[in-house]
Amino acid sequence: MRIGLRLPFSTLAAAAALLAACAAPPPAAAPGAPKKTIAVVTPYMANETTKYVIDRFKKEAEAKGWQVTVTDTAGDFNLLVSRIKDAVTQKVDAIVLGMGDPAQMTQGLEAARQANIPVFGIDAGNAPGVLVNVTSDNASLGKLSAETLAKAIGERGSVIMFTHDPHPGVRARAVAAAETFAAYPNIKVIEKKHIEVPGPVDNARKITEDLLTAYPDNGAIAGIWAGWDEPALGAVQAALAAGRAEIRVVGVDGTDFAKAEIAKKGPFIASVAQDFDAMAAKTAELIEAYFNGKKPESEAILIPGKLVTAENAK
Amino acid sequence: MREGRLLRAIAAPWTRLTRVQSLLWARKWGTLVGFAALVIFFSLLRPSVFPTVQNWSNIIEQVATLAIVSVMVTAVMVTGDFDLSVGALASLAGVVAVDLMANHGVPVVPAILIALLVGVVGGAMNGLLVAYGGLSAFVATLATMTAYGGAALLYTDGATLFSGIPEGFRWLGQGDVAGIPTPVIVMLVVVFLAWLLMEHTVFGRRLYAIGGNAEASYLAGIAVQRLRLAAFVLSGLGAALSGVILASRLFSAHPQAGNPFMLGAAAAVFLGATAFREGEPHVLGTVLGVLIMGVLGNGLNILGINSYIQSILTGVIIVLAVLISSLSRRR
Repeated sequence: MRIGLRLPFSTLAAAAALLAACAAPPPAAAPGAPKKTIAVVTPYMANETTKYVIDRFKKEAEAKGWQVTVTDTAGDFNLLVSRIKDAVTQKVDAIVLGMGDPAQMTQGLEAARQANIPVFGIDAGNAPGVLVNVTSDNASLGKLSAETLAKAIGERGSVIMFTHDPHPGVRARAVAAAETFAAYPNIKVIEKKHIEVPGPVDNARKITEDLLTAYPDNGAIAGIWAGWDEPALGAVQAALAAGRAEIRVVGVDGTDFAKAEIAKKGPFIASVAQDFDAMAAKTAELIEAYFNGKKPESEAILIPGKLVTAENAK
Repeated sequence: MREGRLLRAIAAPWTRLTRVQSLLWARKWGTLVGFAALVIFFSLLRPSVFPTVQNWSNIIEQVATLAIVSVMVTAVMVTGDFDLSVGALASLAGVVAVDLMANHGVPVVPAILIALLVGVVGGAMNGLLVAYGGLSAFVATLATMTAYGGAALLYTDGATLFSGIPEGFRWLGQGDVAGIPTPVIVMLVVVFLAWLLMEHTVFGRRLYAIGGNAEASYLAGIAVQRLRLAAFVLSGLGAALSGVILASRLFSAHPQAGNPFMLGAAAAVFLGATAFREGEPHVLGTVLGVLIMGVLGNGLNILGINSYIQSILTGVIIVLAVLISSLSRRR
């Protein structure tokens, strides 16, 4: 059977027009105005975290008297390059990337470099053309969560780690956590398990059930360290269902569902949230320093995380 | 001498086993023997842990959701079609159910029924595209998998739904009846009904006829299009049911929580098909396939085998099972 797929040209033209209409208007330049102009471009404004950090940055920047425009391309990196080029044409004073992998915007970054416009990344990544990227220090997130777990289990006992090494951020957390545990002579990491994505909660729950069976005695597993919050949630559910509520579990990210679970004061004792307030403030600070002739001392500025426990989870 | 004769009589069929016969034997019992071998292997290595009641109830509870999707997707695979969209549909049904009851005040049971309806509609969409639109099942369900997956993400804005879920929803995934977990009971009911429907009704026999030769079935007066559509509806319903149980079990809805069902169900049906002479999917074969996957995952976890090696081993075992089955069928 033949599948007819002949879209009339008019349909395509209409679709193109629709897309053009959806695209945000280019940021308005302020020629001659003494105000500094900042163009924030992001592919991910629909993402809650991205929106949060960009809103925070906008606040910080406006408090410093700058004019800020925010452009979202809704996941379209091709359009993102065009928007960066638009900003370059309008001679903005700085461009801020609100997340999004800069390796996919090389052309736009090159245009900015040629026009001598600095590009600052907020949790974006490092690439040629990005002056500095302000991001979470994944190693510190892993270290802080591991230390919290170590203290909670009285610095002794067997620990299981839930990892996902293909993700560079989670991997960095796990490496730091493993080093942290290794520094405690009475803590032993007995299993390191790779958690499948998608479906991390269910996967972690099943693995935890299996491990609780493999280590059936109360106290045989003192704690479970998870590289992010989803597997921690699965581990908590398995521990509660098996009546092993004495097991302490920590996650990373400080997501809302993790906070809700931590607030119950059960096995889920802590998570470490990325500090997006600090990231936004630091970026504004770096831009101000740049305007005053001071370049950032390194191309990656790492922000430590904030511990979320039952005390501040609500 | 009587013992000698008896021994010879017992041994006779075995000594006469030719290569062809042993292959046939492997064909008939190979998958079951393989399953038994896995169980024995894990039991010998961890005798105090693996062959315990607690561990087996664990395994059965763990595979319940996958079993429900898999036996229902078997209906589609019996007709020679394929359904890639079950994982995405399970995710979508899960978020719909939880959103309705947590954010829109819909009582638990109607919310679940609406979520199941989402599965039926999603499955019907697949069936219409394949049976009436003439698209290959692979292309059609690849497209709908993407669309349903996108719908689940859009519906929740990519977030996890976890607050405001009524306690009454917990029973489906975490409750029990006389000590038997609810998901296991649902699984047993679904398996029984699916087995009845596909192995013991005219409807089921016609599905097999379509899988054997769709054109001949059509010429024989079987309503091929309608039956293929019905098979996809069953598959969608099974996916939605699993998705809702999973959401209750995790007491939260993640827009991609059900996605792993797709590969798991396909593997289970393929593994199960090797247990039959004709190599075609059967409900009970699929259950065996699900159990093999469950035992493998559980046993390897208990032995503390590296997760990456687990994935490789699972792949190798699927290939071996299908290879042995197709080699012996060729004789």
